[in-house]
Amino acid sequence: MLVDLAGGWNPMWGRLAWSQIPYDNPILAPLFVAVVVGAILVLGLITYYGKWTYLWKEWLTTVDHKKLGVMYILIGLVMLFRGFIDGLMIRTQQAWAVGAHSSGVFGATHGYLTPFHFGQIYSAHGVIMILLAATPLLVGFMNIIVPIQIGARDMAYPYLNALGLWLTAAAGALIMISLFVGDFAHNGWFGYAPIFELQYSPGVGVDYWIWTMELVALGTTLGGINILATIIKMRAPGMTWGRLPIFVWATLSANVIALTSFPALQVALALIAADRYLGAHFFTAGLGGNLMLYTNLFWIWGHPEVYFVILPAFGMMSEIFPTFSEKPLFGYITMVLASMAIAGVSWLVWLHHFFTMGAGPYVNSAFSVATMLVGIPTGVKVFNWAFTMYRGRLTFNTAMLWAIGALFLLLIGGLTGMMLAVPAINYMVHNSVFVVAHFHTMLLVIVYAIFASVIYWFPKVFGFKLDEFWAKTMFWLFSAGTVLVFVPMYMLGFMGMTRRLDYVFNTVWHPYLLVMEFGIAVYMLSVLAFVALLYVSIRDHAKNQVGADAWGTSRSLEWLTHSPVPFYNFAVLPHISARDEVAWRRDNGIDHVQPDHYEDIHMPNNTGVAIILGGLTFVLGFALVWRIWWLCALSLLAIVALVIYRSFKGDPGYIITAAEVEKMEKEALRREAQISK
Amino acid sequence: MQVKWRNSLKNGWRYAALAPILLLDGCAGNSYWIFDPKGLMADTSLFYLLVDVGIMGTIVGLTALLVVWFMWRYQKGKNRGKYDPVWSHSNTIEVVVWGIPIIAVGVLSYFAVVGTFEINPYNPTVISKQRKPASDPVEVDVIATDWQWLFVYPQYHMAVANELVLPAHTPVFFRLTSTAVTTTFFIPQLVGMIDVMPGMRTKNALESSNIGEYQGIASDYAGAGTSWMTFKTNILSSADFGQWVQRVRQSPTSMTYTSFNNYADPYINVHHKVAYFSSVQDGLFDHVIDEVMNGKTWPIPPMMTENMVAYMQKQNAQHRD
Repeated sequence: MLVDLAGGWNPMWGRLAWSQIPYDNPILAPLFVAVVVGAILVLGLITYYGKWTYLWKEWLTTVDHKKLGVMYILIGLVMLFRGFIDGLMIRTQQAWAVGAHSSGVFGATHGYLTPFHFGQIYSAHGVIMILLAATPLLVGFMNIIVPIQIGARDMAYPYLNALGLWLTAAAGALIMISLFVGDFAHNGWFGYAPIFELQYSPGVGVDYWIWTMELVALGTTLGGINILATIIKMRAPGMTWGRLPIFVWATLSANVIALTSFPALQVALALIAADRYLGAHFFTAGLGGNLMLYTNLFWIWGHPEVYFVILPAFGMMSEIFPTFSEKPLFGYITMVLASMAIAGVSWLVWLHHFFTMGAGPYVNSAFSVATMLVGIPTGVKVFNWAFTMYRGRLTFNTAMLWAIGALFLLLIGGLTGMMLAVPAINYMVHNSVFVVAHFHTMLLVIVYAIFASVIYWFPKVFGFKLDEFWAKTMFWLFSAGTVLVFVPMYMLGFMGMTRRLDYVFNTVWHPYLLVMEFGIAVYMLSVLAFVALLYVSIRDHAKNQVGADAWGTSRSLEWLTHSPVPFYNFAVLPHISARDEVAWRRDNGIDHVQPDHYEDIHMPNNTGVAIILGGLTFVLGFALVWRIWWLCALSLLAIVALVIYRSFKGDPGYIITAAEVEKMEKEALRREAQISK
Repeated sequence: MQVKWRNSLKNGWRYAALAPILLLDGCAGNSYWIFDPKGLMADTSLFYLLVDVGIMGTIVGLTALLVVWFMWRYQKGKNRGKYDPVWSHSNTIEVVVWGIPIIAVGVLSYFAVVGTFEINPYNPTVISKQRKPASDPVEVDVIATDWQWLFVYPQYHMAVANELVLPAHTPVFFRLTSTAVTTTFFIPQLVGMIDVMPGMRTKNALESSNIGEYQGIASDYAGAGTSWMTFKTNILSSADFGQWVQRVRQSPTSMTYTSFNNYADPYINVHHKVAYFSSVQDGLFDHVIDEVMNGKTWPIPPMMTENMVAYMQKQNAQHRD
């Protein structure tokens, strides 16, 4: 052992011990029982209905970009819910533990969470929401939509795509298991040096945090490579750069960021691991370590990451506004330039996350001005969406409502962002709940864009529309929750309330915290409305079936093929003639023209290697957290062996004959003809 | 001259901008600490906040109105505005939509840079250039521990834990460091935040002409005791400050390098306990930085805060409370 570990360690079990299971925790123990019962129930139902073969063949081993995308989105939604519950717990603690006379239960002097548990919850909330909710949700949509929008049959590397998904799933599993075995980091989602060092965080929480983030980072990097290769090399004939749908441009700019920034995070985390596992001193306060270096390294990734998640959201909005305005996007070229400009500037602004660290006025000024530059392309985007509506014919479908909501949130987030970009203002509100309110406003732009996309692209993937009544109910409840939680939060920021307080010393802030708690309850109602939305929509799916062009006013290529999209995407790869191909074909009356003959289609085979690698990576992560070295070695060896094995084996793919394609196409056309009747 | 127009601008805008918020909050308007600065540094921050919100708020507000107007005018089936299914480009509009943000960012950049120098924590020109100080500056060395604040007054060879007392009309210059982890020093109504880091020295400054008591906060998460790591800042008249210094000097306890070593052990200051140290070994601040840079740490016992109630009993039992 190179470092002194608090608590025991043995060669067999590492740091693992029965005492690490929080069976005496009044919140976690019942949850654990519920999870176990739920899991047994789900597994039992799958066995009862004999769905294991279906699950394995159609989902777990699939390399189909649409199914992988759907699974990404499912992971994202589950983690979004987990993150929301964390948020609810944070809000409840802050609404309860106010003033010296507030009561305390479960070992807390005030409220129901001890400081250590509170720290774990807000750290998990941040990691989950950014890396395991927003990122998988957006990657999911990129996965589903991008290949169809550029007229490809699949991603450039279908197996790599599956691997990215299962690495993300492994990361999600790792952070979930930290609930029941051991604990999680309390150092915030971005971590501070040197609080994550062994002296100040002697438990396994920080290790869970390191390896969860490493796994997501690895998965997202692999995904970025894949998406870039797909966009560059897999476009249908005639799909020139100038005709690329705007969401593809957004995805391209986002993944340039991902590919170039995630390695910085991986290195930073690896250096923390060196400190914690090998007794190195990269980020310690003494012995030559430099704790400010960590903050720089983290935000060199962290800020580009912000744009990695917001650019696809902008792309989604740029698809939805034209469809429901029934006219082309205003200023396509400007929009592309703006996306690329945001991606470029994203590299030059990281220091604005720590203006208060004491860099000199020249450094702070430079980063302040660079940060404001982001406001230019972003402002242009807002104006372009507004002018897309100008002279349009607007339908306020729920997808459009979410998109308009995102636009207004972006205006507010832009206003507060420009405030934070000025160091003189930043000093007063940095680390206050004002900052929390600001970045939640921006992340809600993403959430709004995602729900807009769920409504908008759901019929493309599943062949039927979501129920409009429940969708609208969910939208209005969610928006009411947003106002009730974040308006008081901005106000509290101006009142000087700082972030991450597990005990609130100022009773003047109490009414605002209670309003926020009420807002969280309204958010909870919107979650229930979402469940109702899914239930009602699936129940009535026969009524709401749609043809290829689900909205009748859609513009980009994905609406050319059937809904739901056949696994080969297009029976015959389309030849692209215009920027908004489907709108162009509709205007020229050739949108229903079918190919006169079909050809053989070459498709990739399914593979079980990806999910097995995901499982092994999870084992490796768990073994690293608990320092079970033999298991680390074993799982690492298995991973390397499997990767090499698969590399030599390759995948020749398989052929769908023209006759089979014709049969499936006829069936799909027959179905569409029925719907239009 | 410059100060004058800025002051009238500031006061005018302050009430205009704050009116809705103040109305919402009834008569408790002064609970908005950021809008109620009591010192030069915080005052300057508020000026830039109002300039920024003034410029950006105008643009954002007008854009929001524009969007709402488009939503109303071009709703399908209402036939209020002309529908043009192909219109998607206009050079004039492109120039305007790029021009407005570029001009706004240009103007704001000017204010941002000037402001950064004005309240640069290392040498704030609002304090060093624009005024003749009424009296000699007071120096305070701030040492953050897990989870208390120690304020050393090197000019008076004394120290106070968890309470900051300063004379009015006097520039105050801080040097700040931490023993264990990173946190942030923040007095909302007097001065903005500056990080406090182990093995590092940051600086800050303030000047206040308002006698009163203001809240100080550790505004960056530093572990279990952060929420209780608050301190009161008392701005006194110079006569009262002199008396207070005498009071501290009568305290029976003193602080040496050795006693600091014990003092810096993790301690959650639930009862906001204040301690006076009549004398302090010279050079404590630099000594702490040296120690930390040479690898000294004050570790946190594992799971010390798993159960806060039990931990507080233990802390009491050790007679540290």
